[in-house]
Amino acid sequence: MIYKTQQNETAVIIEMSERFTFSDHTVFRKLIDELSSLNSLTRIFDLSGIEFVDSAGLGMLLLARDEAEKNHATIVLRGAKGQVKRMLEVARFDTLFQMED
Amino acid sequence: MSGGIYQASGTPMTHRVAIAGNASLETAKNLIFGEHLFVAEDVSDTRFFHGTGIEDFPRETRFQVCFLPNLVTPDWLGALPRLNCNYFIEAYDGLELGDLSPLRRPFPGPQWDLLACLSTQSAYHLPIARKFVTALRRRGVLHDKIAPTLEIAVQEAFSNSLLHGNMEIDTTGHLSMEKFNALEQTTRERLADPDFGHRAIILAARQLTETHGVEIFIHDQGRGFIPPQNGELRAMPGSDSTFGRGLSLIRTLCNDLGFERDGRTIRMRFSGHPAMEDGSVSTDLTDRPPSAARLYAAAPPPVGSARSGGASSRPVSPATPPLPAENSGQNIAPIAFAGEIQDPRELYQACILIADDTLISREIVASYLRAEGFTNLVFARDGNDTLEQVRQNQPDLIILDIIMPGLDGYDVCKQIRADPDYFEVPIIAQTALEENEGRTRIFEDGATDLILKPLNKSELLARVRIHLEHRILVKQLRAYRDRTQSELVLAHDMQAMLVPRPDYYRTVGRDYGLSISATFQMSSELGGDIWGLAPLDEDRLAIYLVDFAGHGIGAALNTFRLHSLMWSDGEDLHDPGSYLESLNVQLKRLLPVGQYATMLYGIIDRKKALFRYACAASTSPVIGKNNGQEIRFLDGSGVPLGVTNDARYETRETPFGDNSFLMLYSDALIETPLNNGNMLDPERLQDVLYHIMKRPGGGSDLASQVTDYFYDHTPRELSDDFTLITLQPQTAPSRQ
Repeated sequence: MIYKTQQNETAVIIEMSERFTFSDHTVFRKLIDELSSLNSLTRIFDLSGIEFVDSAGLGMLLLARDEAEKNHATIVLRGAKGQVKRMLEVARFDTLFQMED
Repeated sequence: MSGGIYQASGTPMTHRVAIAGNASLETAKNLIFGEHLFVAEDVSDTRFFHGTGIEDFPRETRFQVCFLPNLVTPDWLGALPRLNCNYFIEAYDGLELGDLSPLRRPFPGPQWDLLACLSTQSAYHLPIARKFVTALRRRGVLHDKIAPTLEIAVQEAFSNSLLHGNMEIDTTGHLSMEKFNALEQTTRERLADPDFGHRAIILAARQLTETHGVEIFIHDQGRGFIPPQNGELRAMPGSDSTFGRGLSLIRTLCNDLGFERDGRTIRMRFSGHPAMEDGSVSTDLTDRPPSAARLYAAAPPPVGSARSGGASSRPVSPATPPLPAENSGQNIAPIAFAGEIQDPRELYQACILIADDTLISREIVASYLRAEGFTNLVFARDGNDTLEQVRQNQPDLIILDIIMPGLDGYDVCKQIRADPDYFEVPIIAQTALEENEGRTRIFEDGATDLILKPLNKSELLARVRIHLEHRILVKQLRAYRDRTQSELVLAHDMQAMLVPRPDYYRTVGRDYGLSISATFQMSSELGGDIWGLAPLDEDRLAIYLVDFAGHGIGAALNTFRLHSLMWSDGEDLHDPGSYLESLNVQLKRLLPVGQYATMLYGIIDRKKALFRYACAASTSPVIGKNNGQEIRFLDGSGVPLGVTNDARYETRETPFGDNSFLMLYSDALIETPLNNGNMLDPERLQDVLYHIMKRPGGGSDLASQVTDYFYDHTPRELSDDFTLITLQPQTAPSRQ
């Protein structure tokens, strides 16, 4: 997975792309560190560039959610398509996250 | 299966072993001759082939095994879909197969349709599931439609075996960020530790022929675990579990999940593709050996209806002859298939076996047939004699009495059908049985048709004639097809020879300080792509890419026509525009009306750091700069070659410096619908290139990496040739 962050007045948007899988622990840890240093109360994970996610990727999104809660921030999952969308549905992530098209 | 007809016809016992890149030959030899892979008598004739890139291993050569270099890179993983080989093994020090050897025995046990054996260190960083599933799709082991499901299951099972098995990492329950950080730390340590990092992981798949499904095995070398009961896997965990969804997912995705070797092997079964949904299945049938069902389908309805057509002498219309899709007529005229029996003598000289236990019955049948002009009759007195006569006389038709002493007609039918040599011989069973059960049974046992006793002369003759005609036509059709196929193979090989081999274009590239990488894949039918290089002087290298409209013999022939023109004397190769103009005039003269080609001809001038080119409706060449940060589509417009005599072509130019790259491609790259329904439009292509260049080592062998992306995302069968060439200045120029 690779990502770009971009901050505006109300939110930080994390544009993620490529595959998001178990081998992305290190890059994801870096991303979480980066987010903790920003004070945005809304963290928008733009998943539209992700073409494949596995259960470890889902798990990391849950970790991001826990971290956000600590900082009283909300997480939005935006733009999931195809396989990513299916995986989020199967894992019932709609009950855990705010979802946007 | 890909390219059956193109398979090299070498001696079957020769083992060809592909050594990829700097894979250790010593390790490879240890594995092969140490009974890890093959049984001893099987390896006497083993030949090793070395290649520095995937394109070095010709597709028409079948390799028994490919050894990948230690710490496999993504580009070598691309060998899984692209190499004509089923076994891929990373040759690394410390590979101990242990209870997983031998992986392969000629007997017993299944031969794998695809097997990859990798070190944990390599496997961790590679998109194995994606490549493995792409490779299965490309081999026809897996239907495109179930590929996405399979990829998720393989990804989950593979990561499960890798992380929990080989690396012994525990990720159960809810993880805090601290625990996650510790986990990440442990992961890195274990990858670096040979005790864990050198453990092998094996992913293997075979097609289940009965159900057209697929069975996948993943073996690890960890400590194993107690597999959860199915009931425990039903529910998907909620937020109380961070990483615990893998097995539940697998459970919902595959039809059958099992564990072996104390949990160190995961076995998953998937049912086959959605039958006939898109017609692709029925196309596949044409490649399979004929089945009894098809034979019945081709024969006329068994009882009753033949009576009305009793006097008919029209042949059964054969299946449509497999003409090449785009057949311009004049090219294959000498072997036209007429669709009717050309020589009636062939019909009357056909050998007919009459099997009946009573002399009088045999004589009645024989007299009817002789009176009609059939001369080549042989006889059998009972079941065993029938089998004997079949073997001795190779009859074209068998008239078989069902009730005979000893071996009866049912058994004879079964035994004849069990022998592949006689699988298609028409059998007309004759019986006095009126009841349905006997009729059903004799068809089940393999009879082609049934005729009731007492015999009706005209009915018997009509049926004999219709089955014989059918058989002769099928024989002719097959001979025609074999001949067409062998000529197609020849044309295919000839066309492949027009295209530079990897060792040639790499060497030429080096002379100009360029790293050239290319992929050229002909579609299952013949296509019309060629490309090539022409060194002009010490600074200037010319490159061209041509695509003739359509495919089939016609298009292939045109590539030969053009190739001979290109190198005729007196052409000014130094000015792209005027070169295309003169080629156009000559092609216009040679090409039949309505046929045309698109072409790019360009010259890379290293001294002036320029790319000068002219285009005849080619795809837009891509120029990239600064590691793909800046990507530009050049102008590919121009009149196609061979359309009009007075076409003019302008020479265009663009800077081509040391941090640039150039990519040329056939339209298959941008016009093949991807699995998600989109095509690689300029924006997507730009995105793909950008991501590839950004990867570590992404700048090397660019064509290969773009091809890998293409293969991952496109349906199995290419309907057009696929050509992709990239040229990049070498990072450490070899020129002074």
